[in-house]
Amino acid sequence: MHDVDLAAVKPYADHLDDGLVQLSFTLPVPHSLAARRAALELAAKMGFDEPEVVHYEQLTEGYTYFVMYGRCTQTVDFAALQGEGFDIEYMSEDEIEHFAQTHLGRRVVVVGASTGSDTHSVGIDAMLNLKGYHGHHGLEGYRCFETYNLGSQVPNGVLLAKALEVEADAILVSQTVTQQNLHVHNLTELVEMVEAEGMRSRMILACGGPRVTGELAKELGYDAGFSKGTEPQHLATFIVRELAARAASGGSDGRAAAASPQSSPA
Amino acid sequence: MTQTLGELTASTRRLALVGLAKNTGKTETLAVLLRELASSPQGEAEGRRVGVTSVGRDGEERDVIDARIEKPRVRLAAGSLVATTDGLLRASAIAHDLLEQTGVRTPLGQVLVARLRDAGAIEVAGPSAAADVRAVADAMLAHGARQVLIDGAVDRRAASSPDVSDGLVLATGAVLDGDVHEVVSQTRDAVELLRLPLVEDATQPGRRLRALAAAADGSSLLVGVDGEPLPLPRHFILTAEPEQVAQLLDRSPDARWLLVAGALPEDFLISLLHPLKQHRRELTLIVADPTRVFLWGRGPAWFARQGVHLMTLRGIELLALTVNPVAPQSHRFDSVQLRRLLGEAIPGVPIFDVLHADYAGAHPRTGQPAGSDAAGASGPEY
Repeated sequence: MHDVDLAAVKPYADHLDDGLVQLSFTLPVPHSLAARRAALELAAKMGFDEPEVVHYEQLTEGYTYFVMYGRCTQTVDFAALQGEGFDIEYMSEDEIEHFAQTHLGRRVVVVGASTGSDTHSVGIDAMLNLKGYHGHHGLEGYRCFETYNLGSQVPNGVLLAKALEVEADAILVSQTVTQQNLHVHNLTELVEMVEAEGMRSRMILACGGPRVTGELAKELGYDAGFSKGTEPQHLATFIVRELAARAASGGSDGRAAAASPQSSPA
Repeated sequence: MTQTLGELTASTRRLALVGLAKNTGKTETLAVLLRELASSPQGEAEGRRVGVTSVGRDGEERDVIDARIEKPRVRLAAGSLVATTDGLLRASAIAHDLLEQTGVRTPLGQVLVARLRDAGAIEVAGPSAAADVRAVADAMLAHGARQVLIDGAVDRRAASSPDVSDGLVLATGAVLDGDVHEVVSQTRDAVELLRLPLVEDATQPGRRLRALAAAADGSSLLVGVDGEPLPLPRHFILTAEPEQVAQLLDRSPDARWLLVAGALPEDFLISLLHPLKQHRRELTLIVADPTRVFLWGRGPAWFARQGVHLMTLRGIELLALTVNPVAPQSHRFDSVQLRRLLGEAIPGVPIFDVLHADYAGAHPRTGQPAGSDAAGASGPEY
């Protein structure tokens, strides 16, 4: 990377700072020249300069699908964001096994589920099951993990009881967070129930879902949040490092063994 | 109403601000409290030594789930103490003295405790776990804070546990439901839960129950008037099926109380209803404090009418209710009417809309149009 102004970053397509963005969407209108005009007008309203329809076609009767280019006029201050959150250097499966053996010397117990009314279990399956995701084993395939995948639509009480029964080190919960309070409530209720059982300091709580960010995880009371693009070894790295940090600190000073390398203070 | 929220809560050392949902106005309440502390005579005299922490994240510009919602900033006076992450402290660019590295890790980084040398706006993200929140609050008190404000997150209640804080301001609002009466009824249920009757020290059964609770090693106990208490299987209360609950009650015909060791979910209360009714019995469940009870649709009074009573070993001091009559991106209620209905349903607690013109500490907000509606029906969104 050269000559990038990190305080004012723009999308890149053909050359630096051209701001070109490709976007695709469907409008519920018949395939027509009027539909094309509508797409152009919409992109202009989104704030794109020089919007251009490069492809459009009928998706089905009464619906038109568009692919467009446009120039983004906005920038973001990447420099101001760099200090935030985890910039974990992830370990490979072998490194994780070795780390767990050296620093923990025992198997790590992880219980996972999709809670409440959520019927999606693909996230949990990708993280925990042997098959894994993207060519990487799920935690079940590691020697150092003992995993329990409870599936989907699991009540918080049942998930918590299982975690207590098997003395889990970590609970992994997957939830499709929407703007409805219900989904958020499922996630906060689990945290509150773990607190009510007096087990919060003994268990790592991680949540995952398509819209989960570190900020959201913090707000909801979780130790980490994982979203799209997370591979099982990312989760595994976090869990073993965090456990080692907790073991080293005893809750007083975990800085030396922090789970996340922090950039040095300004 | 003549008293301000700041005056009402001044003597509470660790004050928790908890909401019944997102966007009920916790952070707005925090901002008003901070403003009142900074401008009060005591505040001036004592160097405005307030400590602030958040179990979530406060002072961010936009809502973490719905980016259309702008959030109030948190402005701290010079001399204030704050628990937040290293990254957020740095991003605030406020000159400060680092007092402690807590070793608490969050998804946003490590939590530090600092004293601000200058005033400024800052994002606050302290520890999330209740025990860590208490430790950080006590650290700020030890470093000279006169009061610590603990802001909650979403609908999390753990900060209001007597293990963490000494008093509570509860935020409710239009966001709970589109029907104003439903908002009132949900708020009333939540307050009933906060005000569960205490197990009395003055009576013999009360003293016995407290002694049993103190001696119990993590198991829940079914207690009768006489005889040995019966320890429940581990995790029974979290997972028991209705038939198992019925069998348990059949085996213990004299049981009057159930000392609950941990969390008490509504499912368990529901499973008690039928067997109790069948045998015309009643049962009193006793929790460590009200944050251990997880209700979804019914309040304690409803369960009491069915013969399932709730009591607590430790209480929570509810100091005030705050009301946000606006549901962002949705509907709004008339603030005066909402507060009147809440007051009728929930006697004995002051109710504030801190952004309304009739609030005792009312303060013109920048950005609010001059002469804005005094009835509050078009108040600013928060």
